[in-house]
Amino acid sequence: MESGRGAERLLSPRLRQASARGVLALAAAATLVLFGCGEGSPDDRAASTPTSQGRQAEAGGPGNEPAAPGPNPVPGPGTQASSRQGRSSSQGEQGPGSQGQPRPVELPSGEREKGITPQQRAKATVLTMRLESPALASAATAPGGVVTLPAAYTCDGKDTWPELTWQGVPEGAAELALYVMSLQPVAGEPFYDWAVAGLDPSLTGIPSGRLPKGAVEGRNSSGKVGYTICPPKGSSETFLFALYALSKPLAAKRGFDPNAVRRDIVMQSGNSGGMAVSYGRG
Amino acid sequence: MNKKRARAFLAGLLVASAFCAVSVASASAAPAWRFNGEELGGTETLLGGAEKSGLSLLGVTTTCDNFLYQVDIWNKEGTGEGNVVDLPLFNCYTNTTCTVEAIEAESFPWPAKLSTISSSNYLTVKGVDVWILYGGWFCPMWGWWVNVTGSAGGLLSNATESATFSTSSFKATGTQLKALGGSVEWNGFFPSEGFGWNREEALSVS
Repeated sequence: MESGRGAERLLSPRLRQASARGVLALAAAATLVLFGCGEGSPDDRAASTPTSQGRQAEAGGPGNEPAAPGPNPVPGPGTQASSRQGRSSSQGEQGPGSQGQPRPVELPSGEREKGITPQQRAKATVLTMRLESPALASAATAPGGVVTLPAAYTCDGKDTWPELTWQGVPEGAAELALYVMSLQPVAGEPFYDWAVAGLDPSLTGIPSGRLPKGAVEGRNSSGKVGYTICPPKGSSETFLFALYALSKPLAAKRGFDPNAVRRDIVMQSGNSGGMAVSYGRG
Repeated sequence: MNKKRARAFLAGLLVASAFCAVSVASASAAPAWRFNGEELGGTETLLGGAEKSGLSLLGVTTTCDNFLYQVDIWNKEGTGEGNVVDLPLFNCYTNTTCTVEAIEAESFPWPAKLSTISSSNYLTVKGVDVWILYGGWFCPMWGWWVNVTGSAGGLLSNATESATFSTSSFKATGTQLKALGGSVEWNGFFPSEGFGWNREEALSVS
């Protein structure tokens, strides 16, 4: 106390007055801050306790690495799992919608999936073309982008294809081929609902029910040369419309076997487009 | 208390109120990474791992039995941020006859950020870039190489120290994964924990 008074004596009277006001202002501010500003949860206050910055003071700002090397974060296959063993529960506040206790990070025992090899890259048909149907723009879309096909485009209606449009045909394409396949095989075989070859690469779409000159249809798995979407009554199926850009003409004739030429199509096509639809029959 | 002292006291109250208002606003708008309740100071490596997680596109759901992510995290001006630096995938397959010949996450790092939306905390990851090569003769996508890109938002839970990615978390965060303009659905529950300096400490966000 004496030393404090001694220090005060060193101040000028004006400074002493200002100092007294400052002390009062600081006291008011401290009172408010200490009592949590009158708002916020106990968790908020807990969060304002001294931080772990001291322990990590040398770590630096965003993006900087810790001062000393930490353990390898992604253990290899078969590595024993979590650091969480032995920890009973979270000490953090419970987030909305959260239930239960922390679970350890399960580390896999198998091999990491391989990335695509240069050879696979060279052979792959890259999904780069956009295939759509303006007729299905307002149709219901299920998660994963599967559009519900209106009955008009099935055997319950006119059983003809909807208008189709596409973009992104690569330069130098010689021909386009269009397939519709059931997503799941039928009786252990791929099921072709429609196959068209000989489409001019300059086309950007086809109208509903009419094929342009030069295009030929194959024989589908229902035995018809043309289009049929007709799942069994009481079932629902998903169908994939697939457009392929071919580097050389296929020279397919009307009634061609879609299964026989599919390998050629996929092997020589570097680019494709896809659209998934589903249809269920009551 | 004379007039000058009263004025000083009021000024102090005003300054403190302003300070409080700023503190409260920033706390609600910008959640930070915390370990054992303490705000993360430097950088930490976070590992998240789902036992099963699936991507759905063109009617095909691609599931990986183990789906990990490694994120370097830090706080910047009170807001949790990070970079996804690796996404190892294990034992992937589909719900159809399509096989997964290869699957690879590319273009790291993917920037990540914490946010609070309607009092829930989310982790939003941008720049997602995953390539999948499908195979299988019976598969309509045989030989197709599909690129999934976009952003993904996951709901964070402090109680379970996890991130849950689902249709609702994507909707809440305004994020979307796409393949050729079509939407891709991703579902996964990722328990997450620190694997660096804060190993064995409780992870939370607030």
